[in-house]
Amino acid sequence: MKNLFKAIFIALLLIIPFITRGAEPINAYLFYGQDCPHCAKEEEFLESLKVKYPELEIKKFEIYYNKDNAILMQNIAQSLNISINGVPFLFIGDQYFVGYSENITSIEIENKINSCLNNGCPDVVGMILYPQETEDPKNSPESPVPTETIINFPEENGDNPNQTDINNGENISNQETEKINLPFFGEINIKNFSLPALTIIIGFLDGFNPCAMWTLLFLISLLLGMENKKKMWILGVAFIVASAGVYFLFMSAWLNLILFLGFVVWLRIIIGTVALGSGAYGIKEFFFNKNIAGCKVTQGDKKQKVFERLKKVINQNSFWLSLGGIIILAFIVNLIEIICSAGLPAVYAQILALNNLSTWQYYLYILLYILFFMLDDLFVFFVTMITLQMTGITTKYSRYSRLVGGILMLIIGLLLIFKPSWLMFG
Amino acid sequence: MKILKFGAVWCSGCLVMKPRFQEIEKENSWLKTEYYDFDNDKEMVNKYNVDKILPIFIFLDNNDNEILRLNGEIEKDKLLEIINQNKDK
Repeated sequence: MKNLFKAIFIALLLIIPFITRGAEPINAYLFYGQDCPHCAKEEEFLESLKVKYPELEIKKFEIYYNKDNAILMQNIAQSLNISINGVPFLFIGDQYFVGYSENITSIEIENKINSCLNNGCPDVVGMILYPQETEDPKNSPESPVPTETIINFPEENGDNPNQTDINNGENISNQETEKINLPFFGEINIKNFSLPALTIIIGFLDGFNPCAMWTLLFLISLLLGMENKKKMWILGVAFIVASAGVYFLFMSAWLNLILFLGFVVWLRIIIGTVALGSGAYGIKEFFFNKNIAGCKVTQGDKKQKVFERLKKVINQNSFWLSLGGIIILAFIVNLIEIICSAGLPAVYAQILALNNLSTWQYYLYILLYILFFMLDDLFVFFVTMITLQMTGITTKYSRYSRLVGGILMLIIGLLLIFKPSWLMFG
Repeated sequence: MKILKFGAVWCSGCLVMKPRFQEIEKENSWLKTEYYDFDNDKEMVNKYNVDKILPIFIFLDNNDNEILRLNGEIEKDKLLEIINQNKDK
């Protein structure tokens, strides 16, 4: 009998550590935003996993409305030296997942849970949040650096077989209902089509803004008098490229500022309010200023000063001095005039930020925006250079463009404030 | 009757109106017009208070009194109609 007790006691001693190990909770830290559709899907999936894996403990942190949680997420990113471009952001053990894609991220998450159950895993976030409670010499690495990461953004997919594309895998079950048939274009997925379409529309409407067009017309009028046609083309193209470059830098700065601060709700509300104001102004101009089919005359001699400088730059004997001068002038003039269309790029940058895209996609969308923004400039430049006759673009539709732009801005403003999830496409 | 045309090299709408007016002048050789640049002809700009929208077309009668002022872009047909209405003034 005594031996039997001894045997049971020894057996228990051997088994208990395994039982304890099996019952160890696996902490999943989910950083999410209220109204973010991807977050809601991941949350739902994690809840369903909890039934299957009782050891799973989900710790949720809302970051759109909770400033402390947003700061906490940034601190974790900083501590682990990783960049978080958006939510949902999930950390399990030593692996993190940015974005969510049904059928792809879900499998990776479940694999990670199984791996933690079978082999154990260091609670990297727990070590940062609760350093004393989670101190375990067996599991703690020297420094809390994630050993493996999955970022579900397409730009990182190419080199790493573990990484998956959030846009490809998502909403497979819903895709049928989101497709429409268009003549000539065939079947189009509305969600995939919405952001490019919105980019083109806003870029085009922004381009109607005549703020920077006057400088180009000044320049073209000077270029037309040049004998050296090659120089004429190079200087003109340099001006247009430099102007596009300024706009690109400006929009990228807006985007990065919003991505940096974008996890807080007040910035979205401010930009939404700017959109509402800009929309109301556009509609007011349509109804109360019927005589806007023309060029507004501004007081002061700003235009004349720019014209004189352009003339000086163009007439430089050295080609390189002219080229450098044109680029610098394009930067200065466009930087000054940018204030005139600050509303639309900021609103658009906020929409981009909401869409949880990869870095190269963000910049590709900005380029698409700028292409349509500069369409009128390109038209005027090429037609004038080819025909050698000054060409202008009619201003008679500018009144209607203000109405369309105003209505669009009102809608976007309302959505940014009350229903941002409707602006999250793809 | 005479028409004073005010425009600027930086004004897209003025460039749109330029060929329209050229056609009208070609078709109506009796029509007298004078062009003034907003930035270079400040004396005329100030004399006729051109300070809001360009292009501006100011119609003068035979005694150089202003009888009509048109702002912004105008369709060729409408412009011709107005010119013909004021032809004998």
